[in-house]
Amino acid sequence: MPQLAATRALAESEFAQLVDALSSEPDRGNELIDLLREDHPVYDQRGAAATVRMRGWILIALSRSALNDNALLFVLEELDTGRDAYLVAAAARALRSYANPNAAFAPFVIRAIDNIRYHDEPVTLERYGEYATSTTDSGTTPVRELLATLVWLGPHAREVLREIESWRANRSGFSKKFWNEVDQAFDAVAGIDPLRESNHDTCCCKLPSSLGNTHSWSPGSRNDCEAIESTVFEDHDGATIAFGEFFRGHPSVVVFFYTRCDNPQKCSLTITKLARLQKLLADQGLTEQISTSAITYDPAFDVPERLSGYGRNRGVRLDARHRMLRAIDGVDALRNHFKLGVNFIESLVNRHRIEVYILDVDGRVAASFERIHWNEQEVINRAVELLKEERPPPPPSETGRLVAPSRSSTALPVASTFASLGLAFFPKCPVCWAAYLSVLGLTGLERIPYAPWLQLALIALVLLNVVSVWMRGRATGRMSAFALVAAGAIAILISRAGLGLDGAGPWGVALTLAGSLLSALSREKTTPVLWRRLATRV
Amino acid sequence: MSKKGIKRAAKSAKSAMQAGATSLSPRLAMTTATNAGKSVKERVAAMPNVSQAVIESDAQLQAVLKVLRSKDEPTPVRLAALQALQAASFAVIEFESCRGDYLATLRAVATDSDLELRQRVLGILARENDGFAQQRLLEGLQNPEKALLPPEKALQLLGYDVHADAYPVAREIVKHPPSDAAKREALRLLGADASSKPLFEKILRDKEETREIRQIAASSLHAIAPAALQKHAREMLLDPKEYSDIQETSLTALTQFGDAGKVEKDETLMKRISSLRGVGSTKLKQGARLFQAKYGG
Repeated sequence: MPQLAATRALAESEFAQLVDALSSEPDRGNELIDLLREDHPVYDQRGAAATVRMRGWILIALSRSALNDNALLFVLEELDTGRDAYLVAAAARALRSYANPNAAFAPFVIRAIDNIRYHDEPVTLERYGEYATSTTDSGTTPVRELLATLVWLGPHAREVLREIESWRANRSGFSKKFWNEVDQAFDAVAGIDPLRESNHDTCCCKLPSSLGNTHSWSPGSRNDCEAIESTVFEDHDGATIAFGEFFRGHPSVVVFFYTRCDNPQKCSLTITKLARLQKLLADQGLTEQISTSAITYDPAFDVPERLSGYGRNRGVRLDARHRMLRAIDGVDALRNHFKLGVNFIESLVNRHRIEVYILDVDGRVAASFERIHWNEQEVINRAVELLKEERPPPPPSETGRLVAPSRSSTALPVASTFASLGLAFFPKCPVCWAAYLSVLGLTGLERIPYAPWLQLALIALVLLNVVSVWMRGRATGRMSAFALVAAGAIAILISRAGLGLDGAGPWGVALTLAGSLLSALSREKTTPVLWRRLATRV
Repeated sequence: MSKKGIKRAAKSAKSAMQAGATSLSPRLAMTTATNAGKSVKERVAAMPNVSQAVIESDAQLQAVLKVLRSKDEPTPVRLAALQALQAASFAVIEFESCRGDYLATLRAVATDSDLELRQRVLGILARENDGFAQQRLLEGLQNPEKALLPPEKALQLLGYDVHADAYPVAREIVKHPPSDAAKREALRLLGADASSKPLFEKILRDKEETREIRQIAASSLHAIAPAALQKHAREMLLDPKEYSDIQETSLTALTQFGDAGKVEKDETLMKRISSLRGVGSTKLKQGARLFQAKYGG
């Protein structure tokens, strides 16, 4: 068979061949697991149903060999939040191929049964892309697979015995066909408990330690924010705000979602949990110190009214420090900065994971919680640790220069202010020259040469000022300063054009000064935390 | 069966079901409904009483599913069986036992030779966001030889699920519509696709398009780009050559969803609305009054 590359051009049938080939070669197991990443190019521009078929086939392939720890997380994720019958059935089967039953798996299996049992349906796991048209022909169902997984867990699932008991007692929520299987699961789980029988200390009630990647914490090696600095958001009220403006100066909790997500275990629950997290922040007096935001994956559709309605309906607090956002510029930079686990068909999400990020005071990703449901207080605890962090000096870049993550927020206003001051004090007319000469005369300097090149320098200064204020305006999302400076520049140039409109010059200088000051001050306006901190210190 | 024949069969099935809905015990109803020796009318009349029985007994469920699946059974009886199962499925918890077999049977019947049955079954599956149904409907739109339903119906059913991957094929149908109805449904489906904004803007301003199509474009724009609709609504109201019903829609859009801050400062628009109170159609005059009641002027 020719080598197939996992790209978006791959036909579904070829993809199935590739998965079969990878699963038959034990040393290529990681390539197979890599295909489960939501952002893998192979899912780019596929429909949601195709994505389900493809991911399901990988899980089925994993179930044919021994499931390793790297793949385990994807399997547990599907059990935790999955709503698609095919994927849940495949995940349940894949879990049974793990080397040893583990007590920590039991709650996932129970949750999966609770999520799926009222929309259980026949599935076929034997051939790629096939849908069951009969429950008797080699078909199974997610509930059947999950009950078989409970039997496999046996006494290791003792913690959930009470739930199984209640199913037996009520008999509701399960097809009559499964009553025998529920009984079998009960018998298996209620059997001899290997933990009590054995004397060894090994605790098998925790997830394998390699599953630490559901949550990452990187105190020392955070990526800088240079690329995302220019990303501009629109919030739930329609106000625009740049990344640096909102995410700098305080730690932030960021969740991702989209309003058209049809899995209530994902986006809807994430936003509801965000509301609870905000309440916990308020109870602990941290509302002003830690900001929160929910960023949509679907910015074209999730207009401010939708963001606002979606958040308010789930009890989310919305104000200047807590916002729901959509990226209106720099979406790719956003995806790269967070390494988002999402893929699209056109602008619509075809698959995404649960993802929560904690950003430090510089807007860098310090911690993330992925795939499995997160605990609100645990997220807050991480954010509080960031509050206590000393703000480190900017790390040197590869070339030895200082990286300037705040270039647009610091360098630009400084350049702008100097340029405008230079412009304001630049001698532009004979009266100016006379005034300077008289001052210089007073100070003992007798003459300063007048040269035509100074006119060119004046134009260069004017343009430099306009460009720097424009860049600053773009970064902050406020263009009023640019309008003033541009008007001032036009007035100055007209006054020097020999059209007899010399009177425009002073107006131009005044407008330029006003615009430049406004541009420089806009930074102060965007860092209220700094002012607040200074105020509290005083 | 011809279209008229289907309608007649469905109608007679419905009236027979209504007539016999309360007259039989579930056990007797089951015996009658599944007995090929009884008349079609009797069987159809018995079907409404089998809903409870299928929930209670797997054997009864399998008997009704067999009727639905069997190509030898008369269409009115199969349609009645489908309706009885649908009625039973409303009891979500009790029906859970039956759900797997029910869905598998629906998938099997989705490719049946009877159009009416196919259409109803695919409709039920599409409302469940069933991947099998979506795949078949998409295949039919891409390759009309494989089509299980007319394109407009297929598009309508795919519209139940925003993730059904139907936008590319819908756009293609808008470009080369096999019928007006198909174009209309394709546009309705695209009404949730944010990237179709330029398409809707173009259609909305195109006076050559039918009013209905332009109305769809207006409501779609309202859903995906409300600000753009406000802009176009204003321009269409100011255009004296624009059709009056399109202006009515524009006026409603501005009255109901307009940005008050912008609208109230728009003297040109205010003057125009004021003038419409005297000269426009009755609906336009009424709309202008409502507009002025909200924004003044």
